[in-house]
Amino acid sequence: MGDSQYSFSLTTFSPSGKLVQIEYALMAVGAGQTSLGIKATNGVVIATEKKLPSILVDETSVQKIQKLTPNIGVVHSGMGPDSRVLIRKSRKQAQQYFRLYQEVIPLSQLVRETAAVMQEFTQSGGVRPFGVSLLVAGYDDNGPQLYQVDPSGSYFSWKASAIGKNVSNAKTFLEKRYTDDMELEDAVHTAILTLKEGFEGQISGKNIEIGIVGADRVFKVLTPAEVDDYLAEVE
Amino acid sequence: MSITSYNGSALVAMIGKNCFAIASDRRLGVNFQTIATDYQRIFQIHDRLYIGLSGLGTDVQTLYQRLKFRHKLYQLREERNMRPETFASLVSAMLYEKRFGPYFCEPIIAGLSEENVPFICTTDLIGAKQFSSDFVVSGTASESLYGACESMYKPDLEPEDLFEVISQALLSSVDRDCISGWGGIVYIVTPEQVITKTLKGRTD
Amino acid sequence: MAEAAIALPPKGGFNFDLCKRNAMLEKNGIALPRFRKTGTTIVGLVFKDGVILGADTRATEGEIVCDKNCEKIHYMAPNIYCCGAGTAADTENVTDMVRSQLELHRYATNRESRVVTALTMLKTHLFGYRGQVSAALVLGGVDVTGPHLHTVYPHGSTDTLPFATMGSGSLAAMSVFESRYKEDMDKEEGMEIVSAAICAGIFNDLGSGSNVDLCILTKGKTEYLRNYQKPNPRSYIRSKGYDFARGHTAILSTRITPLKDQVTIIEGDAMEE
Repeated sequence: MGDSQYSFSLTTFSPSGKLVQIEYALMAVGAGQTSLGIKATNGVVIATEKKLPSILVDETSVQKIQKLTPNIGVVHSGMGPDSRVLIRKSRKQAQQYFRLYQEVIPLSQLVRETAAVMQEFTQSGGVRPFGVSLLVAGYDDNGPQLYQVDPSGSYFSWKASAIGKNVSNAKTFLEKRYTDDMELEDAVHTAILTLKEGFEGQISGKNIEIGIVGADRVFKVLTPAEVDDYLAEVE
Repeated sequence: MSITSYNGSALVAMIGKNCFAIASDRRLGVNFQTIATDYQRIFQIHDRLYIGLSGLGTDVQTLYQRLKFRHKLYQLREERNMRPETFASLVSAMLYEKRFGPYFCEPIIAGLSEENVPFICTTDLIGAKQFSSDFVVSGTASESLYGACESMYKPDLEPEDLFEVISQALLSSVDRDCISGWGGIVYIVTPEQVITKTLKGRTD
Repeated sequence: MAEAAIALPPKGGFNFDLCKRNAMLEKNGIALPRFRKTGTTIVGLVFKDGVILGADTRATEGEIVCDKNCEKIHYMAPNIYCCGAGTAADTENVTDMVRSQLELHRYATNRESRVVTALTMLKTHLFGYRGQVSAALVLGGVDVTGPHLHTVYPHGSTDTLPFATMGSGSLAAMSVFESRYKEDMDKEEGMEIVSAAICAGIFNDLGSGSNVDLCILTKGKTEYLRNYQKPNPRSYIRSKGYDFARGHTAILSTRITPLKDQVTIIEGDAMEE
């Protein structure tokens, strides 16, 4: 990035000390489809809307929740194509770590590396920041964890968080519903209820996605049929 | 004369009951001339993790400095100590990186896990790992060490007995190797303490 | 970017910094040391429902046996395994590198890895190093196109065979296969012939020894049978062992360093919003 000596950073300070490009990137995230995550006592759930631009799109070809390693999954809000770059780099980072230490990468390390990539794109020449925020869920030696990474490269660990459209409503809803002793099953129900809050139209297994990771340390994206079963439970 | 026998060395590590021992000779020579009799080949990585480096003295010191650097960086980044297995993989990866221009060192890694399970491992000079549940040896005296350890080693020894076995194995082996010797140094690592003893050996 | 040289982790690939020095040493008549090798008998065979891989467990350094029970069957993918012969570090690293690439490839494609993909990755790497990375491999697996068995030579050439042997014991093992191999064998018969072939290597080739490892790959199922046979148990342990009285060894100095109790950090109060 920025190899040419003539390329310069597009993200420059405004006189008031803001990086407006990053703020615009956050706007892109805010306009994206809602995603949320909840950390339970025995696992983590992440969920997202999957609204398609037209009914003619084959919904089976769209996969928003992705695995980074067998025990870590990620979901994004904002620009889908940008997230793919980050996912590709993160997966590679995880493999590099494993090749060096023959040990799976801790979630905190992977998130930090991913955040470092996002930060690099706010300071390098000839590039723009990523138009996505990520929610990263995983289970490792440090237990269940949920992280949010923003376009600026800042990251936080959350008990529950939401990104994308309707974020403030979703967060208010989560604040009301979240308890410290929540188990994974309850968390999945709460995740569905939160998505339902701001959902336009009929919610179904085809237009939302849910990913869970439990104490078995296997991250799993639920199939539409499994999501439908959960939907039936909350009704 | 092989480059690994330029300075001479003898290294051995053994597993005991909830403990391990790692020992080396103390001679540094240039071929048959003895230069130093207090040469350090065993280094502490953290409280319960040690590495012994046999082979060419200059590479021993360079490699140790690089390993210490990498471990300190890991400590800062991950806010924890490396597990012995993890460190062994790091050593292996660093050696294999120099596959076509290797360091002339054969390391022995010995450590105690958080759960007090002892771990020993050795690699060749380009990082082929070999785990063991009893003993590992390395250096110019390795052939006689194999013999001594095969017959003297017993599983599940208490720290005090493990010290005697590893010391006798080391001393009797270096007596059959003219370029290693001049006493030895033994580290016995138990969950509670590290016992470091220097051994009296032949000085010829 | 001078600081990049110490930045971590490294990008991968080999480093040739010490080559010049080592060549100088060699020119001055100093012999360079040997690497750890797996003398090795490794074999593979296709049977009715899949592939069986087999290996001995001896690792050697020159004439010294340095590991009596090493693992030579490497994991590549859930449905693919690979036996390695040659320089131990090379077989270990080349298989692990391809394992890593296959995993990334599976994430990208959402499909089970194919054996030919692994084969192509291996041969491309090995051919690139013109035989300098000395790994001789027997690659086996079952994928969507059925069971496959290949051999890979250090220079990057490959074979596709119903039964294959590699390593210093390959001739001994091949004699068993040539006389006893049949098409469409069942699993038990296949396992019997594979272990007989490995035993032929163990007993007739001095570079191979100790135990028999097997790996049976069938559609949707992998069985890794570590130390399936142990034909060479240790027979020379002195029943009493050697006893040394405590305090027997002459000591010059003793230092005792108590280890600190391991500190576990208990989470502080939750951060104020």
